[in-house]
Amino acid sequence: MTRPDETRAEDTEGTATFIFRLEGVTKRFGGVVAVEGVDFELRPGEVHALVGENGAGKSTLMKVADGLYAPDEGMLEVGGETVSFSSPRDAEAAGIAMIPQELDLFPELSVAENLFVGRKRPRKSWGGLDWDAMQDEARKRLDSLGVSIDVTSTVKRLSAANQQVVAIARALVGEARAVIMDEPTSSLTGREVRQLFSIIEDLTAEGVGVVYISHRLEEVFEIADRVTVLRDGHHIKTAPAEDLDAGELVRLMVGRPLNELFTRSESSPGEVALEVRGLTRAGEFEDVDLTLRRGEILGLAGLVGAGRTELAQSIFGIRPAESGEVLVEGEEVRIRSPRAAMERGIFYVPEERRSQGLILPFSIKNNITLSILDRISRFGFVPRSERQTADRFAKELSIRGAKVSDPVGRLSGGNQQKVVVAKSLAREPGILLLDEPTRGVDVGAKSEIYRLMDSLAKEGKAVLLISSELEEVLSMADRVLVMREGRISGEFDREEATQENVMTAATGGRSRPEPEADDDPQEEVSENG
Amino acid sequence: MAEIREGTERGGPSGTLRRFLARPEAPALVFLAALVAVFSLASGSFFQVGNLESIVSSVAVLGIIALAVNQVVLCGEIDISTGSMLGLCAVAAGAAATSFGGLFLPLLAGVAVGAVAGAINGLLVTLGRIPAIIVTLGMLYALRGVILLVTGGTWITGIPNETRVLGTGTVLGVGYPMILLVGLFLIMEVAGRHSTWGRNVFAVGGNRRAARFAGLPIDRVRFLAFVLVGVFVGIASVIYLGRTGSVQTNAGAGLELQVVAAVVIGGTSISGGRGSALAALTGAVLIGVILNGLILLGVPSIWQDAVLGSLILLAVTTDVVRRRLVGDRA
Repeated sequence: MTRPDETRAEDTEGTATFIFRLEGVTKRFGGVVAVEGVDFELRPGEVHALVGENGAGKSTLMKVADGLYAPDEGMLEVGGETVSFSSPRDAEAAGIAMIPQELDLFPELSVAENLFVGRKRPRKSWGGLDWDAMQDEARKRLDSLGVSIDVTSTVKRLSAANQQVVAIARALVGEARAVIMDEPTSSLTGREVRQLFSIIEDLTAEGVGVVYISHRLEEVFEIADRVTVLRDGHHIKTAPAEDLDAGELVRLMVGRPLNELFTRSESSPGEVALEVRGLTRAGEFEDVDLTLRRGEILGLAGLVGAGRTELAQSIFGIRPAESGEVLVEGEEVRIRSPRAAMERGIFYVPEERRSQGLILPFSIKNNITLSILDRISRFGFVPRSERQTADRFAKELSIRGAKVSDPVGRLSGGNQQKVVVAKSLAREPGILLLDEPTRGVDVGAKSEIYRLMDSLAKEGKAVLLISSELEEVLSMADRVLVMREGRISGEFDREEATQENVMTAATGGRSRPEPEADDDPQEEVSENG
Repeated sequence: MAEIREGTERGGPSGTLRRFLARPEAPALVFLAALVAVFSLASGSFFQVGNLESIVSSVAVLGIIALAVNQVVLCGEIDISTGSMLGLCAVAAGAAATSFGGLFLPLLAGVAVGAVAGAINGLLVTLGRIPAIIVTLGMLYALRGVILLVTGGTWITGIPNETRVLGTGTVLGVGYPMILLVGLFLIMEVAGRHSTWGRNVFAVGGNRRAARFAGLPIDRVRFLAFVLVGVFVGIASVIYLGRTGSVQTNAGAGLELQVVAAVVIGGTSISGGRGSALAALTGAVLIGVILNGLILLGVPSIWQDAVLGSLILLAVTTDVVRRRLVGDRA
């Protein structure tokens, strides 16, 4: 872990100056406490990393500082004065800007326009917009970040890294004193991360404070001056980065050693269940070969946007491939709809639980039996035995927190995910394509899902596990395939699959820590209240 | 993360009340009951079996079409072509009635024409992937054009009595329009709750993507909903024919929006996935009660549209307030 040691020792000494400070902040969504009694402060010129598992409350806490959420308890101080923001606009006026994980840029507008959205725009004497002045100013802003981007280009045409830079530049147009970055590197390549880090260093040199939310511990140790750990909405520890090491940090985040989380028994893969040859869909994935055996968990690793989801959805008939073959049990098949895939024994569990996996107004029961209605119905009517079927799966997956007749939205994120999995298992597929099955799920549900995956493989099902959590892939998979920019860039068996090897294949260069998307489960349950 | 538990215990009268209030058609039903009470107090002739039956019969055409359009709305689609469709079906049924007489052939003609029109809507929306509001707006004009071309702008008159029986006849003192409305309502209520198709309609409207990922035939589900509208419009057209005894070229004009109003006032969510057949029925009866009550109270007819419009807004506002109280988001 190398980190440029500058004048940071003095920063971390007990100076009382801070840009903003949260004290005893509690935020609840309905019955769920997202953060409770958390203290946090940001000093000028420091990089303060905020770490914790999915759902630990990192994003929620920072959204309080950004004026997006009002705290239920506790207070926010900016420059020594207690303030209460009613919107991110107020926060911006006070010098606090947040760059969310999902960038809030306008893809169809130009870079220059994006920088000035919602701000005072330069105008000509007769009141019209002064485009030249706007573009000059935008160019100046981007130059000061050390990057050259065509300011007249629409944002959607920029790379992920340059979009990130535009988002930062936009935050700084408002003369921000504090910049909150939520998982800024989740879709960046190694070189782009360097670029971001050098921008961060320039910012802090000018006295701007940076809150850096991330799962990637290597990055945290490289860039952060101080680290605050959250777990289950509680403040666990704040310490200078040099006083911590990776093992300690993991223990603080998880609250127990990692290996207890995973369950994977010895496996003896059987015959080939699914084979893919030269599968191609322009712009998404190209010339993909893949073999999946019964009783096997095949990990599919790669960066966000590497084409893994697209590949799985293509096999499931959602996005038809343009060329290549798919063989199920040795027989070539043409699958053009999810229904056709299900008839071949393939089921895809989507990564977007709420938008793709669940019918939210439906009860738990109706969600579970959704994919088997055509099987269980008699003369076009749903039989009463539906209830028993749903009960059986709810029990099998230990779905807790509500009756099967209650709306599925009443469940926590983890239990909702179990419903999505239950729906797929009800169809009794031989081949399961799991896309980020533990995303936004609490630790307890996670370990239950791992146990379930293990027993599915033991039953002889073929499981494809798409995951951006390297730990998960390495612990669960018998074999790991890596995708990069739409192509298979590496294949490793269990022994060869190390963090280093997989990341090298995923990034095509130097190894870097795992990409991982932190969605905000608090936000999910917030609507359920 | 903690699991979310129910805020209050269920059961007991408050639990039953809560469950009732959580139903989509609850505000409309409460509103309907209140209106009936007000009109009954204000006018002695309102709350009489004869008058109530005539109200329900008067909204039979509206209600039957609303029951079918309700399914389209539940799918997350919309159909605003029903006004012209009713006119065209009535023309077909009327032509069959004047040529052949009887009830069966006119009914068959109306239903067949409706089904074809509905199928065209359904195909354009599903296979054509054109937004339903555009498709059915186009059909609204196109079908009216067909009426004018077919009739040459003349009325169809002289509908024989045996055809008119669906609009004028009674069984044990109950009019056929009411019997048909209630019968079709019961069918839709059962189909909506217990049939696979009914369940699929809610799923497609609740989350089309998730429904597709679960292997549901979303195009077939939506197509059938549009065809159902055609069939129900066909049935309604014969009731219409019976009640009016003639077909004008502007028959059914403006009905399409009254139908959508009935569905939405009743409590079916315009964005799909939430609602019931009872909601559509309640909405239609509510409109009938308002119009009838105003006449009985002697309110000048120039006031009708203004009052109806205000009450629509009031009903919708009530629903918003209810959702906040129940904490229901749908």
